[in-house]
Amino acid sequence: MASLITCPHCGVRPKEEFAIRGDASLVRPAPSASDEAWHDYVYVRANPRGRTVEHWHHVAGCRRFLVVERDTVTHEVYSVVDAAAAVRGAER
Amino acid sequence: MVRDYNNRHALDQKLRGTPKPANADHLEVSHWQAIATVLAHAGLDAAVERALSSTPDLSLRYCGPGEWLVVSHVDTPVGLMRRLDMLCGTQAHVVDQSDGRVLLRLSGPSARTILAKGIGVDLHPAAFAHGGSTNVLCGHIAVNLMASGADVFELIVARSFAESLFDDLMAMGRQFDISSAFSE
Repeated sequence: MASLITCPHCGVRPKEEFAIRGDASLVRPAPSASDEAWHDYVYVRANPRGRTVEHWHHVAGCRRFLVVERDTVTHEVYSVVDAAAAVRGAER
Repeated sequence: MVRDYNNRHALDQKLRGTPKPANADHLEVSHWQAIATVLAHAGLDAAVERALSSTPDLSLRYCGPGEWLVVSHVDTPVGLMRRLDMLCGTQAHVVDQSDGRVLLRLSGPSARTILAKGIGVDLHPAAFAHGGSTNVLCGHIAVNLMASGADVFELIVARSFAESLFDDLMAMGRQFDISSAFSE
């Protein structure tokens, strides 16, 4: 697993300071969406080999949620951004 | 049943007995200081930071975006709360942590080597400059670390973790014959 994460607020930190909160690429379905869509959103997860986008929580540091894009094979970290900033960027 | 309430320091049990003379590497436990957390309202980070840093006798420690620990060695806890309310009353949430946190001061030529045993952050002066502060993990305990001098570091830890962190630091410094005492 990627062992050093460059937190946008705290700098380079060991992975022990973080809690991984799961896939960040999921999109919440509309409230009126079908039961199948909601079941998939809540329970069904891929176990990808390669590039993944995840929510990481910097529990022992700035306590912010981050979006980390990393590779599960090579352990390379491609990008780390604050989750709030990532949402703002996506809306723009 | 009525009990008397005694205000005891979290490390009273650990630092009992007559104080020994301080060695080169020394862990000083600050006895009385006022600590508060300040969390700026959304979008007001810069305004709150300006207001706080305009006061020279308040020591500001960075926790995260828009969040600081403010330490004062001159105010009482009530006095600090009153001052912070005046400085950033409607711009931030202020919570008194004077009895909730413990402040430890590690000083000496080996301070960096001692801390490096538990902290995964580069403590070289070029990377972690004098006056810099941040939240880090020391062993398994989250602390706020500040470089308050050339070879002086201040750690602020939650009261309930203070004994554990104290034991850890003493074990980490044993190689350098670390001493410990309450500050005067």
